[in-house]
Amino acid sequence: MTLANRRKTISAAVMFFALALLLVELYPIIITLLNGFRRDIVILSGQKFSANQFTLDSYMLVFKNKQMMKAMGNSILVGLLSTALSVGVGAMAAYGISRFKFRGRNALAYSFLVFRMLPQMSLVVALYLMFRSIGLRDTIAGITLAHSSFNVPYVIWMLIPFFTAVDKSYEEAAMVDGCTRWTLFRLVFLPLVAPGLVVAAVFAFINSWNEFLYALILTGVKARTAPVAISSLIGGDTLTWGQMCAASTVMLTPVFVFTLAMQRFLIRGVAAGGVKG
Amino acid sequence: MTFSRRPATSQTGRVALKRAGGQGSPVPFLIPALLIVFAVLIFPIVFSFVVSLFDWPLSAGGGERRFIGGGNYVALVQDAEFWNSLKLQLGFIFIAIPLELLLGLGAALLLNREFQGGRVIRALILLPVFFLPIVSGMTWRFMLQPRYGALNNFLLMLGAPEITWLGDPVFAYVAVIIQDIWRMWPFVFMLLYAGLAGIPTDVLEAAEIDGAGFWKRLFRVILPLLYPTILTALLLRIIDALRIFSEVYVMTEGGPGMATTLFSLYTHRQAFGYMKVGMSSAMAIFLLLISVAFAVTLVRKNMSLEKLEDQGGNR
Repeated sequence: MTLANRRKTISAAVMFFALALLLVELYPIIITLLNGFRRDIVILSGQKFSANQFTLDSYMLVFKNKQMMKAMGNSILVGLLSTALSVGVGAMAAYGISRFKFRGRNALAYSFLVFRMLPQMSLVVALYLMFRSIGLRDTIAGITLAHSSFNVPYVIWMLIPFFTAVDKSYEEAAMVDGCTRWTLFRLVFLPLVAPGLVVAAVFAFINSWNEFLYALILTGVKARTAPVAISSLIGGDTLTWGQMCAASTVMLTPVFVFTLAMQRFLIRGVAAGGVKG
Repeated sequence: MTFSRRPATSQTGRVALKRAGGQGSPVPFLIPALLIVFAVLIFPIVFSFVVSLFDWPLSAGGGERRFIGGGNYVALVQDAEFWNSLKLQLGFIFIAIPLELLLGLGAALLLNREFQGGRVIRALILLPVFFLPIVSGMTWRFMLQPRYGALNNFLLMLGAPEITWLGDPVFAYVAVIIQDIWRMWPFVFMLLYAGLAGIPTDVLEAAEIDGAGFWKRLFRVILPLLYPTILTALLLRIIDALRIFSEVYVMTEGGPGMATTLFSLYTHRQAFGYMKVGMSSAMAIFLLLISVAFAVTLVRKNMSLEKLEDQGGNR
């Protein structure tokens, strides 16, 4: 066998193995996508997949389900609000940490990262009691604030490298022109770190979009988000798998689109402690 | 990010910056973030600790709040279900994470070469990491249903008897672990693959020319160079696995019985099942301390601010 042939064989073997791996990894996802297009009764009867089972009934039921639509609307609203809040506040803090020298700078930066890694279960009971006593339980404001507890530290950590990368000469030039730190931040830094803001915003939104525990405990009927609403489709006597899969597909679509579009930033986004609900 | 149009640096500029830096204070920029951190992180932690010192029923109808000092912590140590949840949690971590590391490393080594469709396959393999946790839990619950679940469908075809997977304590626990491995080994793969790509090829080629075989290269060259990345992946996975809740909650609800009531699920049950907020808070503080210990280790070892600043804006 020539070397070129050997290379080709190895490459083919690797591709075959990779495809097999991919199939295993995608199987549950495919199951979810396909079952959204089948009727509950067909799913429950354990029939094999076939093209003539295709129906949009489950999607229609999901879209006609007022509570589910409200929950999805809440998810979008809470995601946008907590993203806006975290990116606004986080960009300021990241600027403060990366462009100033002060005592305790490292300690502050590290504590933000440690805060991002705290288990939600450790905070949620206290938040529940707090929110209940000040009337924030089951409000959009409350759940938004709760989501900021992981998104603010997350955004700060994501943005620090973007702020550090800005060349000092920009600052110097602006200072000669008599800019204050605030104008400098707004008019010079924010446009320069815009790509970072977009990346941080996308990941912050996904964090909030996927979040379950806070939503489960801190919301009721009014501010309930979609993950909680979807989880209530299954349990006890309700086994509406078709609707569960359809609603899940709706939730997964933006996440997968962002994920595939953001390949370049995935590692940092995930390593900073993102994505997990 | 490269900035081609750079304003000229001048002596006056540097002086002006220095003066502003001397006068300017980072405090106004930090205050909003600090306020939020105080409101939703620091205060709840302190409050949790205070609550953990009380016999504190969830609802007003459950009786009076009573200060009992370390009473909840003593009660926890004597609670068999607490030890059970801790055992399940540790078992989960010790079984799932090594397997995720092995799978991730194996796949990273194997796929770290050019082959047809490589880019697409590597991107798609990561999708489970971004699968909503609750959807993952529910999909696995669905696949493991008796009669119509995918797994049973397959086994029935082979003539095996019908098994209610999630109704069996051992199978349910194994299923929870498999769900996590399925979802999170690509995460390890993603980190290690990037780490491997960062090893200069001439180092590997030099080892190959010196006649080092695959295993020798793996243990003498690749693994030592990859060690910091492996450590990061390991610590991130431990921190993440310590707080697992939603997937298991929707998959098994902690059952059957207490078979999959991992630490967070038991903490949740103490507060919202048994209505004992004090006990739940004691568990919350316990989990918090362990998580902080791991997080501080991770941050100290692998996430220094200098390293982060070196990344620049484009990676």
